Amino acid sequence: MKKHLICFITAAAMLLSFVGCSAVQKSSEHLEDYVFNVQYHDDFNILQLTDIHWNVNSSTKASTAYLDKLLEEVNGHIVAEQGESAKIDLVELTGDMFMLANSYHLKTFIDYFEKKAEEYGFLYAPVWGNHDRHALYSPNKLAKEFREAPHCIYFEPNDDLYGRSNYVINLTEDGTADSAVAWMIANIDSGASFSETELSVSRDYDYIRPEQTDWFISEHALAGEDVPVIAYYHIPQDENAKAWTEVTEKGSDIKNKYFKLEDFADNGKEEFASDFIDRAKDHNLKAAFMGHAHNVDWTFEYEGVVVGLGVKTGTELYFAHIDADSEDEAMRTGLKSVGITEDFDLIGASLVTLTGRDGSFDLEHLYFNERENGDFAVWVKW
Amino acid sequence: MKKIVDRDGCVLSGLDGKQKRHNLTASLAVALFFVISAFTFMNFLFVLSDCAGSIVCASPDVALRDALRSAPIILSFFLTLSGLMTAHTFYRNESPDILRKKAKKHATIGIVTGTVLIVYVTVMLIAGRYLSIVEGAPSPLYPLDSVLYALAFVAAGIGIRAYLGKAGDEPLFCGPSRPTVWKKGRGVRSFFRMIWLLTGLYGFCGFFYSFFIVDFRVGYVPYSVASIFVSFIAFISLPVWEFCYNNLTAEKRMKKTLPPAILYLAVSLAATVFYFLALKKNLDGPSNVGFGLLPIAFSASVNLATLFVVAVPLVVSVAALVKGIFRRIKAKE
Repeated sequence: MKKHLICFITAAAMLLSFVGCSAVQKSSEHLEDYVFNVQYHDDFNILQLTDIHWNVNSSTKASTAYLDKLLEEVNGHIVAEQGESAKIDLVELTGDMFMLANSYHLKTFIDYFEKKAEEYGFLYAPVWGNHDRHALYSPNKLAKEFREAPHCIYFEPNDDLYGRSNYVINLTEDGTADSAVAWMIANIDSGASFSETELSVSRDYDYIRPEQTDWFISEHALAGEDVPVIAYYHIPQDENAKAWTEVTEKGSDIKNKYFKLEDFADNGKEEFASDFIDRAKDHNLKAAFMGHAHNVDWTFEYEGVVVGLGVKTGTELYFAHIDADSEDEAMRTGLKSVGITEDFDLIGASLVTLTGRDGSFDLEHLYFNERENGDFAVWVKW
Repeated sequence: MKKIVDRDGCVLSGLDGKQKRHNLTASLAVALFFVISAFTFMNFLFVLSDCAGSIVCASPDVALRDALRSAPIILSFFLTLSGLMTAHTFYRNESPDILRKKAKKHATIGIVTGTVLIVYVTVMLIAGRYLSIVEGAPSPLYPLDSVLYALAFVAAGIGIRAYLGKAGDEPLFCGPSRPTVWKKGRGVRSFFRMIWLLTGLYGFCGFFYSFFIVDFRVGYVPYSVASIFVSFIAFISLPVWEFCYNNLTAEKRMKKTLPPAILYLAVSLAATVFYFLALKKNLDGPSNVGFGLLPIAFSASVNLATLFVVAVPLVVSVAALVKGIFRRIKAKE
């Protein structure tokens, strides 16, 4: 009996040690592996959907009905603005697609986006949010499903980088690695949360780690130093809060717009501040867009980089009700910036249109609410 | 009347064929309902965590909408719990009178809860709050699957009531009798046993799901193993208590309390130390490798729920230890 027990424990320990010993790829030695190439054209449209949050309480029928209408509105807007041949080219899903979800949600979600990708002709690229790891499916299953979906751009190596998935989409002249890169889209995993010590009661929201910034800079050097970049990730980094303080407390003349009705939900600590934007701005970073805080879509320009949160998509978990008659200072400031005079919910999407190879782009926020007497859809340009 | 209690060391010794069959049926029913209760409890916690998240983020309207949509999930947990309690009443078989009274009560709770669930879904459908009887999420057949589940419980509840009604003064159930819960401090005991049970359900489900959702990524192995171990420790005391300890006669139990209490305390302490060492190694482990196991902790972005799962086995083992010491002193007197 004792012998059996010892054998069993030894076998279990060996199995676990094998799990922990699989080869870890050095990101710096495999930079090409992290690159997807997609054909570029002027007026390349990137739709950002964020914090969809399908969960155990979600009605997937109701949620997909909302997304159906939202995509129809976006497509109609693009066609009206850019002509019949224009379309959504890329959908960036900037995290928290799920929370407390299960395999059924996962399958339904991917089936839905595959169907819509077919219908509208777009590709979609998911970025991990903190809650996507929080479900009754293995995170590996989510990764596998995304990898195998035909219209999904996704990559998850067993590497030395922090986070599950960091990758870039190079928009090249002919859609292959052989031609020049016009734009780079960097998709970065901003993690979830961590305890400062093993006895901490609370946890801090995660941040983009220095090795991820190093990797980004290497990828950018590979694409070309002059290539303009847009980064997408989930958790706002320290710049958002600092810019807000600059604007509201120091009266700085920073261009800013849209709503900021709650904190950015970053970790708020100097020792855990990310160096990403600080260093990436010297490598032609033109914009960084994220999600995470649903009641915020506040956007600002910081040393030539446009930084902002996307509009939360759908009604799951929480969202802000905008009251046109509100006395709340933050709400009034937001309302003034967007010029809307009626009540609405702060849900919808954000659209970036790459207008040229010189790094120019347009940004619009769409506030889209389903209403019985005709849906509410307002586009607000940056 | 047939003697159904054997206090010669183990309540299972000397059972005839019919008693053995009844005992086996009751034991299997308890085990089955425990497992189903664990899964429905995890669903219940998921619903609760999401609603709590909405409330914390100042969206009570979203929490209410979600709670209304997921009420069948919440009711399904209580429905299953009524099944577990009914099966447990038969399993304990404290006396024919208590069995009849308690089993009728739990079966009635099951019938009422099931009926409420069926009526609720029907009303929600008519009111257009469900877009269809198979609206989808969290399962493809939701809420139809909840209705079918409730129907099964209503039918079973009616069956149990009929079975007990038919019995008259003659006991139909003749499984072994196990010790009664002490009347002194019954309320407090029941409360703590409920906490113990819920932690056990949580632990069992966490342990089961961990094989499917915990991600043994490079660098996260210590935390992954620790979370499996802690889940295991959180539930294992329940089957040991119910299927081993409670099969002993009262006299035997007086003598046998201390050794398992010491063992469980040692294992719980080891699990706690292991957990904190693993957490120290993987400070971002909880949120990166299968936090589905700890829905409340994740929703609130705090470690308290994790500590709770670690702490309950410690409390249970210390309580058992105190009990064991007390009994040993009493036996010497």
